Amino acid sequence: MKRDLPRGDDAAAAARLAAIRAGDRGAVARAITAVENGHADAAALLAALEGDLGRAHVVGITGPPGAGKSTLIAALVGECTRRGRRVAVVAVDPSSPLSGGAVLGDRIRMSEVAAAEGVFVRSVASRGHAGGLASATRGIVDLMDAAGFDPVIVETVGAGQSEVAIAALADTSVVVTPPGLGDDVQAIKAGILEIADVLVVSKGDSPLASATVRDLKDMLRLRARRGAWTVPVVLTAATRGEGVAELLDVAARHAEACGRGRRLAGAVQPPGPHDAAARVATLARQDAFLRHCALELLDAGPGRATLAMTVGAEHLNFNGTCHGGAIFALADSAFGLASNSHGPVAAGIEAHVSYHAAARPGDRLVARAEEVSRNARLATYRIDVTRGDVRVASFGGTVYIAARRHAPREAATPAAGARVPGPSS
Amino acid sequence: MNKPLPDPVPASLDEARVRWAAEYAAQLPQDRETRNRSGIPVKPLYTPLDADPSRYDEALGFPGEPPYTRGIYATMHRGRTWTQRQLIGLGTPRDYNARLLDILDKGATAVSLIPCNSVYRGYDMDEVYPELLGTCGVVVNTADQMDTCLDRVDLATTSCAMNDPLPFTLLAFMLATAKRRGVDWRDISGTSNQSDYISHFVANHMFFRIALPGSRRVLTDHVAWCNAHAPRWNPVSVVGQHMQQAGATPAEAMAFTLSTAIQYAEDCIAAGMSPDAFLPRFTFFFDISISFFEEIAKFRAGRRIWARVTRERFGARDPRSWRFKFHAQTSGVDLTRQQPLNNIARVTAQAMAGIFGGLQSLHTDAYDEVLSCPTQFGARIAVATQNILREEAHLTDVIDPLGGSYYVEALTDGMEERILATMADVEAQGGMYAAVRSGYVQKRIGESARAFQAKVERGEQTIVGVNKYVVDEDASARPALPKPDPSLMRSHLAGFARWKAERSRDDVDRALSALARAAQADGANTFGAVVDAAVAGCTHGEICATLRRELGFGQPLVVV
Amino acid sequence: MSLRPKVLVTKIGLDGHDRGSRIVAAHLRDAGMEVVYTPPWQEIAAVVKLAQEEDVDVIGISSLATDHLIVPRLMHALRDAGLAEVGVIVGGIVPDEDERALLDAGVARVFHPGSSLDDIAAFVRDLAARVRSARFPA
Ligand SMILES: Nc1nc2c(ncn2[C@@H]2O[C@H](COP(=O)(O)OP(=O)(O)O)[C@@H](O)[C@H]2O)c(=O)[nH]1
Ligand SMILES: [Mg+2]
Repeated sequence: MKRDLPRGDDAAAAARLAAIRAGDRGAVARAITAVENGHADAAALLAALEGDLGRAHVVGITGPPGAGKSTLIAALVGECTRRGRRVAVVAVDPSSPLSGGAVLGDRIRMSEVAAAEGVFVRSVASRGHAGGLASATRGIVDLMDAAGFDPVIVETVGAGQSEVAIAALADTSVVVTPPGLGDDVQAIKAGILEIADVLVVSKGDSPLASATVRDLKDMLRLRARRGAWTVPVVLTAATRGEGVAELLDVAARHAEACGRGRRLAGAVQPPGPHDAAARVATLARQDAFLRHCALELLDAGPGRATLAMTVGAEHLNFNGTCHGGAIFALADSAFGLASNSHGPVAAGIEAHVSYHAAARPGDRLVARAEEVSRNARLATYRIDVTRGDVRVASFGGTVYIAARRHAPREAATPAAGARVPGPSS
Repeated sequence: MNKPLPDPVPASLDEARVRWAAEYAAQLPQDRETRNRSGIPVKPLYTPLDADPSRYDEALGFPGEPPYTRGIYATMHRGRTWTQRQLIGLGTPRDYNARLLDILDKGATAVSLIPCNSVYRGYDMDEVYPELLGTCGVVVNTADQMDTCLDRVDLATTSCAMNDPLPFTLLAFMLATAKRRGVDWRDISGTSNQSDYISHFVANHMFFRIALPGSRRVLTDHVAWCNAHAPRWNPVSVVGQHMQQAGATPAEAMAFTLSTAIQYAEDCIAAGMSPDAFLPRFTFFFDISISFFEEIAKFRAGRRIWARVTRERFGARDPRSWRFKFHAQTSGVDLTRQQPLNNIARVTAQAMAGIFGGLQSLHTDAYDEVLSCPTQFGARIAVATQNILREEAHLTDVIDPLGGSYYVEALTDGMEERILATMADVEAQGGMYAAVRSGYVQKRIGESARAFQAKVERGEQTIVGVNKYVVDEDASARPALPKPDPSLMRSHLAGFARWKAERSRDDVDRALSALARAAQADGANTFGAVVDAAVAGCTHGEICATLRRELGFGQPLVVV
Repeated sequence: MSLRPKVLVTKIGLDGHDRGSRIVAAHLRDAGMEVVYTPPWQEIAAVVKLAQEEDVDVIGISSLATDHLIVPRLMHALRDAGLAEVGVIVGGIVPDEDERALLDAGVARVFHPGSSLDDIAAFVRDLAARVRSARFPA
């Protein structure tokens, strides 16, 4: 029998895929827009590219605002170009919580290097996502990977916590610390330092820089080593190009030691707060119900998880207020993630809820789950559901802890479906 | 003279004030709150109760005496009125020279030169898109072309203001011209009007920049060289204009300018110069906005602060070091494209504020400047405005005629306080250089710019013809604007190419490598090497490129 | 489908007066748009590359000192790069006869000094919507 000729649409889709794989600037850019805005065909596109992924070394660069991340990335890009590599950058800037708009300013620091042919820079607004990462970033990184860019560098603002997402996405997480944090080092210790594969002290031309390097090294000595990899501290002065080549080499060594494509495979790690957070992010991605309900993961750690949901028309009961079942679903999901954050599989055996206040269309509900107690077999959790300052519901639950651990299987899930959908913006 | 108030203030005066206040409140129960652009609250009435008469000597004094609040010279405008300095520049050197001679003939008393934006940005004419050449200034790239620009102008007797960002090639070309004409460099007078590199980093204008540390070095070299070789030249003009145009309030503009001057003075002192060797040739350059009394108070307060800073902070002994000499330009930002002839009224009010503020030199904008570069017709009206204010309106008969006004004195004190507070903020950032490098100053100015724009958008600040009293206009009634004749510009370009081909390449190469070496060596004087390069036939673009290569490009420091 | 306009605010040519472009960029952000902002003095080729990578809907060029004269070159370069549909607006000091030339070259609109920021934002939003629906037909 004669085979059907490809329909026009299929031919166009094939051409589009070929153009992306060939690294065509316009095709990659347009596909990113589709992913960023959740166009109908974006999922299929990403699924079709699945076999092209995992070649790029994904380097996440995070740290507080003004730390010098963008300047450092500009220097790294320059160094990559000199080494003949084709490099892509995703620079995420926060959206204004008031207007939802954003001034995407990272690129300003990169204007000199961004002009080169083998460089692709894309600025992205976080659109309300915690963890400094826009929900679409994973898909954007996939597209850049498929388009043959290597490395792919991701800049995110780290406000000190919730850096879960970048650690799950990047093969190598670089945390940039400006000099002179002094006692504040203790403050950030519990936060973003936990996710660092490499620590950078920026602005090495400033007098306090070497003292900060010493402080950080002291601090690292107190911490358990992460497997075979010892977290190095690199001093850079990006405006003078110092330490940049070294950083690139260190990052490459980390990729050799720990592999590429972490976002695809979910490499097994010894336990730690970072891993708890990353695990929760992975579990959330694998949870079809979470996706279906458009629940958004805001924060996670050992024994805790925070989810958010915006009440829409589909959530309303006959009274025009949010259905109790929807609130239960939100709280129960946070309960499930928090109880599974440690590694062993946990299954809910009991839960109860009290409703205190109604929620209406447009309300943003936040469910925060905390561990109350935990022993070898049982653990209990308390979940508060709030709307701004108002407590909407209290939820309590108990889990049974199995002997089995979670084996991350993220690669098995279709790439396009593997993200927690963001608030539709 | 002020009639001294009896001391203590009679009770009757206070009673009368209370009576008036009650009456005022009864008639105007919903009074609006008024603040000037710098944020100082403005009351409906000022009386002797707002002044402290015992401070007269300390706060005001007499003209020509510190703190110079009433003027830096004993005779002020009664003796010598201000220098009438119109910035001009259009097209080719020949076009410029014709316009210059016309303006000198119409009453201007000094020369000024605005180069084309390509020159400002450090390029030769053959390095940029030709359609951008000569649209806003004269295209001058060589000593030969400067000779044409200044044809029939006596360099020994005419003060020349060069709008010349570092590395000061235009001055170098002028010195080369002087040398050729046998004029002694010691007789050359005028000002390097765009020497203030810090202001160029604060407000991104069109100026050539090398990276901050290199800029700092080149300016200090320039001051040292002029001290030795061109003692009548003012090497430093600290420019508040850019900051105010970028959106700084008048108080901020004055504060940032004074902080910049302090930075330059400290750099010169660190380079081994004595304060009295360079401070007398520091000059200032300000914008005059249409906020009339505020501008007057800004200038009076600035004079007072500078007198104190130079004496107390730098220990200057020479009274010439204490004097706050400034050139001022009416603000183009206040002018509107709508009903452009209204701009003549605006410029008049701005110019009056500058005159009452005690300026030494004045540029009045042409009414059509906001449409593009001024026409000859517009430039003539601008000059006439100054002549009218001086000779018909008799603004110069009395020195500091608003001195002693309860309002103006209180406002001068208020502005001084604001200015000092902002200067203290800069000081806390580690001085102006550091505050600009970190973006602190840019951020503050950006905030002020947005706040002002918001007031306009809300209608709280009227702009006639824009947000109030709008009229339907026939766009074709607006004047057509001159563009440089493309064929003249083409032949200017061709002439430049020929000239380059014919000059001695050896001389040029030698001068440029000497310039590069001077930039690399710490002890050498970069400006001396620039002058040598100009004399040797190097072009503007070649000199700028050499320094950019050796000292780095000054990337814009952007803060949104 | 989300329509957050993505706008590039930039300056080409020789002049650097950026008060206007900064105010407009901040206002468009406050109006809910995602704005890529650049410092002045961009090369035309760099603007085209940026517009393509960022897939912006609208480019706003600020010109206060005759740099609008090279906007027709930008329009050509955009077309050559296959970006003919991108909306381009110019704001600043543009004489009337030059305005006509810019519109002929494909510029969507010229905003003169005194234009209200809200008008600019409204125009950009509409223009972006038109560009998007041309790019992603429903
Ligand atoms: N002295 C110095 N300043 C730097 C260096 N790197 C960045 N900066 C400055 O730090 C500020 C913030 O830089 P940026 O890269 O935007 O930081 P980000 O917010 O972390 O992306 C800018 O003013 C940079 O010029 C450096 O190596 N040395
Ligand atoms: Mg950044």
